[in-house]
Amino acid sequence: MDIIERIDNWAQVYPERVAHVSGGQRLTYKELKAQSDKLAGYLSQALPNDGSPIVILGHKQVEMTIGFIGCAKAGHPYVPLESSFPEQRVKTVVETAQASWILTVEEIRKILETTEENPKFENRKREMEDVWYIIFTSGSTGNPKGVMITRASLENFLNWTLAEHEITEAAVTIIGQAPFTFDVSILDLYCSLVQAGTLVSVTKDEIANLKELFKTLSNSNGTMWVSTPSFARLCLMEPSFNEGMIPTLGRFWLAGEPLAPEIATELLKRFPKAQLWNAYGPTEATVATTSVQITKEIIAKYNPLPIGYPMPGTQILIHNKEGKPVAAGERGEIIINGPNVSIGYINRPDLTAKAFFAVDGQRAYHTGDWGRCQDGMVFYDGRIDFQIKLHGYRIEIGDIEANLHVLPNVQDAVVVPVMKEERADHLVAFVILKNRTGASDFEIMQELKRQLAERVPEYMVPRKFVFPAEFPITTNGKADRRKLAETLQ
Amino acid sequence: MTIPETILKELENYTGTDQVRKDLNINLFEERLLDSLATVELIIALSEAFSMDISPGEIDRELWATPQKIIDYFEERANAG
Repeated sequence: MDIIERIDNWAQVYPERVAHVSGGQRLTYKELKAQSDKLAGYLSQALPNDGSPIVILGHKQVEMTIGFIGCAKAGHPYVPLESSFPEQRVKTVVETAQASWILTVEEIRKILETTEENPKFENRKREMEDVWYIIFTSGSTGNPKGVMITRASLENFLNWTLAEHEITEAAVTIIGQAPFTFDVSILDLYCSLVQAGTLVSVTKDEIANLKELFKTLSNSNGTMWVSTPSFARLCLMEPSFNEGMIPTLGRFWLAGEPLAPEIATELLKRFPKAQLWNAYGPTEATVATTSVQITKEIIAKYNPLPIGYPMPGTQILIHNKEGKPVAAGERGEIIINGPNVSIGYINRPDLTAKAFFAVDGQRAYHTGDWGRCQDGMVFYDGRIDFQIKLHGYRIEIGDIEANLHVLPNVQDAVVVPVMKEERADHLVAFVILKNRTGASDFEIMQELKRQLAERVPEYMVPRKFVFPAEFPITTNGKADRRKLAETLQ
Repeated sequence: MTIPETILKELENYTGTDQVRKDLNINLFEERLLDSLATVELIIALSEAFSMDISPGEIDRELWATPQKIIDYFEERANAG
């Protein structure tokens, strides 16, 4: 498959079909081609042909799509970032990626308005091993790390997903919830674009104002739903969220965190004609590696629900601490081995060497996830370390703590996820202050929240803050996280 | 428990601070005390506590921006019978 060739071709075949809908904006295939060509022509004149990454800063606007495709045409990998991210975080990403440009949505608009199309520009060919996109994810020491995904890995993922979900030409409208900084969005964006489908983006303003959200959903004509289970849970709280709201919906594809059986049951009840799929895979292995259709029979038989079967050409290995395969059915670390595994973290050979290795000449990745195999399927059994999923966001607890530690009034800090029905519900920060000034706990909390929000994305700022004089200590002399968590009950 | 007391208890529980009681006009969203998910959960919890049928999709964010507005909303609904 040649992704760009396919998408460009729709400008001829279906010029007026809508490629992307987002918060009142609409972008047709004809517009996508003309505008991404223009942007690519501009970038190729402004930058050397060195394959340097370009940061694209925005939310779900159609200019993001134009930006992604424009960068690919100009021969540059792109790094999607949310405009709500603090400046400090953006700076760290730009420096780590050694990005040559930061394109904001406003800048893309300006370029499109003020630049003439360069009729001589030709797309720069992307080789299979060229990096297509780089997605940054939380790092345990406080700095995010950039996962590099090649054209080969992306096409491999698309071929599998298009076939498994019977996504055919000009017949799909995907409702996409995940932000572009989260690689679940790669599925909704590219699976719709390469098949002349429509992506209906759910924006953060709509999620903040549910009246708007349900209006968008009921006007979507969506045929496929791509989101985290958390987002499905939120929608299910609305009684009218059912097949009457989206009668065209034929399929749910959920990934990013464990799918609870009660969410699966409720979705099948509210959308009896739709298929429900559960998928699993870290960003380091291109969106998803395993999947399975969740039926009533599967729900009745398994708890937790399976994450399914690996994609063709990729294998899941379950390894013990010594890096050897465990006996059948036993628990161990999930290792992903295949062409969908990333080539590593950009400009971090140290982190890459720790997480990636080779098995039988193919790239392999230590997921840090516990798992086991049963009945030919893979099951996820939680994290080996302190990484969590909070409402679908992947967060290293160490990332938040490291960013709290550098704040002026923080002597020590421990962050604890509060669990509800076996999933992280919210975060609580326990902070030992350097100076207990005359300010109230509330004022201190608000000040710390404000300072932390200047360093990390909003979803990483704990909801509650507690200020003990000291931490309970484990026999190893470390802060006792379990005891701290118990004080909340 | 009275309507305001029930609401303030739930709000304290969700936000982790008694400031919602001390300042009834505090903006829960601007002060980062409630996010979207917590808001929906709060709507569900309160509609159950008061045995009222409230669908999250009917609610304008503005109507729920402060503790006082939430109290007014429920007292009005209770009075309307």
